[in-house]
Amino acid sequence: MTNIVNLTINGKKIKAPAGMTVLEAAQQEDIYIPTLCHHKSLDPEGTCRLCIVEISGSIRDSIRISCIQEVKEGLIVETDTKKINNNRKLILELLLGRAPEAQSLKKLAAQYGVTKSRFETGESNDCILCGRCVRVCRDKIGMHALCFVNRGPQRKLTTDFERLSEYCIGCGACTNVCPTGAIRMEDKGDQRKIFTWDQVTAKFTLERCTHCNKPFAPKRYLELINKKAYTPKGLEYVDYICPDCFSSHDKVSDRRREMALMKSTVKWSVPRG
Amino acid sequence: MKTENNDSIVISVCTGTGGVASGGYKVIDAFKEELAKINCTAKIGPRTHKVGCRGFCAKDVLVDVEINGESETYQHVTEEKARKIVASHIIEKEPVKKWMVKEDYHNFHDKQQKVVLADCGKIDPEVIDEYLEKGGYKSAEKALSMKPEEIIDTIKKSGLRGRGGGGFPAGIKWESCRNAKGEPKYVLCNADEGDPGAFMDRSIVEGHPHLMIEGMIIGAIAIGSSEGYVYIRAEYPLAVDRLRLALDQAREHNFLGENIFGSDLSFDIKIILGAGAFVCGESTALMTSIEDNPGEPRPKYVHTTDKGLWGKPSNLNNVETWANVPIILEKGSDWYSSIGTEKSKGTKIFSLVGKINNTGLVEVPMGITLREIIYDIGGGIPKKKEFKAVQTGGPSGGCLPKSFLDKPVDYESLYEAGSMMGSGGMVVLDEDTCMVDVSKYFLDFCKDEGCGQCTPCREGVAQMVRVLEEITEGKGTLEHIDLLEELAAMIQETSLCALGTSAPNPVLSTLQYFRDEYEAHVVDKKCPAGICKALTTFTIDEELCTGCTVCARNCPADAITGAKKEPHFINQDKCTTCRVCYDSCKFGAVKKG
Repeated sequence: MTNIVNLTINGKKIKAPAGMTVLEAAQQEDIYIPTLCHHKSLDPEGTCRLCIVEISGSIRDSIRISCIQEVKEGLIVETDTKKINNNRKLILELLLGRAPEAQSLKKLAAQYGVTKSRFETGESNDCILCGRCVRVCRDKIGMHALCFVNRGPQRKLTTDFERLSEYCIGCGACTNVCPTGAIRMEDKGDQRKIFTWDQVTAKFTLERCTHCNKPFAPKRYLELINKKAYTPKGLEYVDYICPDCFSSHDKVSDRRREMALMKSTVKWSVPRG
Repeated sequence: MKTENNDSIVISVCTGTGGVASGGYKVIDAFKEELAKINCTAKIGPRTHKVGCRGFCAKDVLVDVEINGESETYQHVTEEKARKIVASHIIEKEPVKKWMVKEDYHNFHDKQQKVVLADCGKIDPEVIDEYLEKGGYKSAEKALSMKPEEIIDTIKKSGLRGRGGGGFPAGIKWESCRNAKGEPKYVLCNADEGDPGAFMDRSIVEGHPHLMIEGMIIGAIAIGSSEGYVYIRAEYPLAVDRLRLALDQAREHNFLGENIFGSDLSFDIKIILGAGAFVCGESTALMTSIEDNPGEPRPKYVHTTDKGLWGKPSNLNNVETWANVPIILEKGSDWYSSIGTEKSKGTKIFSLVGKINNTGLVEVPMGITLREIIYDIGGGIPKKKEFKAVQTGGPSGGCLPKSFLDKPVDYESLYEAGSMMGSGGMVVLDEDTCMVDVSKYFLDFCKDEGCGQCTPCREGVAQMVRVLEEITEGKGTLEHIDLLEELAAMIQETSLCALGTSAPNPVLSTLQYFRDEYEAHVVDKKCPAGICKALTTFTIDEELCTGCTVCARNCPADAITGAKKEPHFINQDKCTTCRVCYDSCKFGAVKKG
């Protein structure tokens, strides 16, 4: 059984399982803490510094980030103090200086009364370097197609050697987790392009659905799914079925749909690799 | 010709980085060649050997000639002088007085207390036997006969604190690493010294690598570790070579490897070369770098003694800290804690650089005053200029003004003054230094060297640099100063690692002690030190000008006109405020304002 610890957030006494972060505990209680680099399905990296909170009680008084700090018996957390909000305001203003056009950032900044930045850097890029795309690709997809280069303010999101990525499978997970839409995916006909503001990071020709003949996914992506679904050796994946056909009774016979389902869900008892 | 005598002759030539750069290897060859030529033999030697840095780098190449235990030191030795020293001092027994070190060399050494550097500059760092003759590795052997708790207790009682900057008590760190759950445990050494103008750790590794290795062996015995890493800068090629050699020698003697000293313990040390990132001196960044990841600090609220390298308990100390350990074990914790102040024990090595006569490496007891270091040891400011400030603690330290000259140098008092001990960089600044410009320099360094992960440090420090640039360009207002303070407070409170939280220190300390200079820049649009080009004009005082034409001849912009022996005049439209006229005028006729 997991240990339950008692802590106080903004004067409210709450219980949370040990190992949970302060941010998660707060979210559970509908206490709002702003975040940009945090994503519920990714490991926290604690770099945007917006989720700062004031901590006291069983830890020495300090400002800490709630996405990393774990709950602890007797912890007293304040998420909305003047000191915290002033720091958040300045951080948001700095980010807005880097990405003045990023809609979600503008909205969040406005919540804190920041509508204009004194720190415009002249960049016309929505990327706020939160690293969500890098982490999802590295930790969840396992592909390491994206990375950061350079140090300090020259830090930049790109691919290996700033070329079209050899590792990208075109899954689009990065575009999905990006908080500002700075990395995007675009399908035109049978061509897929993933790009950031000033760089095309990967290009693909999409494979066609064997049923409706509509282009729908890059080959590398389908191959990875195949591999992850533990297709037994010797058995080639015969059909590429697009998600539309897959879920539609009209276009695919029940039998075929069952077969396809089996392929993707049955755990084959064969050694991997 | 054959020269024979019953003397013992030892010639020690400095081959630290300063010595090598000044031609130390050539001087050794010259001595050897000359001694061979005259076919000199002696009871012992003549032995010409290379030794590490002895601190006074400004006088390199330094050479000790020791005949029957009596040693004389020569400064600025060249190949030619070496030959003459052999002829005169060794053969004729007539030391060459005019080339010997002068009073300043003795003053430089008198107030120092060499503990860690005691053998540095006396023994050959590439020959393990020289250290063994002096009782080397005896402390490690002694540690093996002690209980680990006893060793930790000795270190705790000695009061040794981390010399890398944080000043955390080493014994307590070792104890928490020993008690942490998880195997294996790692013993790490931080030799990624990156502060501008700092060369303490470099000199230890170059001049006495075995001392640090022995310290790490003792640490490993106390903590229960079998694997160690030295993270050293690739920019220190000489240090890396000597360290590699020293590790090989230690392995040959079975001080490292399987069953060290014939015991059932095993411990070995690997070298990891840093790729030039300043931030890798931060403990978690150093560990991610060893793990083959980009050297970026990790935001963890768990100590690295519990979860460090590869998530295992790791004990990281810097070179100087490790080098103190064998000495403490040899001489005892009582002896060690008798040096220093109440809370800062032992000695500290500083690299004394900047506007100072005696540039070099100094080791002083904690609690000595800045005045003693700068004036007695350092010999004061060159050209009789005024002392203005001393910058301690590297780029994230602070600038302390004249009023702090009589304060004791220890962890607490430097921190209270708004600076810090850091790893021991000490940059002396004179009256010709603009404090706004200095803080801009250090902040710019932190800006480029930050990893770029977290917003406050990446964006905030860059914006602070921009604000400082505007001030030095004459575009500043009083709001600029407020903005600096606002950003600095936020960066200190919210940055991810110590590089970020301490980056605003140079600005904050100069704002605290030299606010009037900032105000002169933004209100009067003047740079009092005459450094910021946009805020400085140079004029010639007609009364003082003798018309010697030196300024006009040196002016690269052809801005100075005037007939010989007549007062000269600077054409402000052409003047680029390069300062050449100001620095070249012997009569003080060029005025800045």
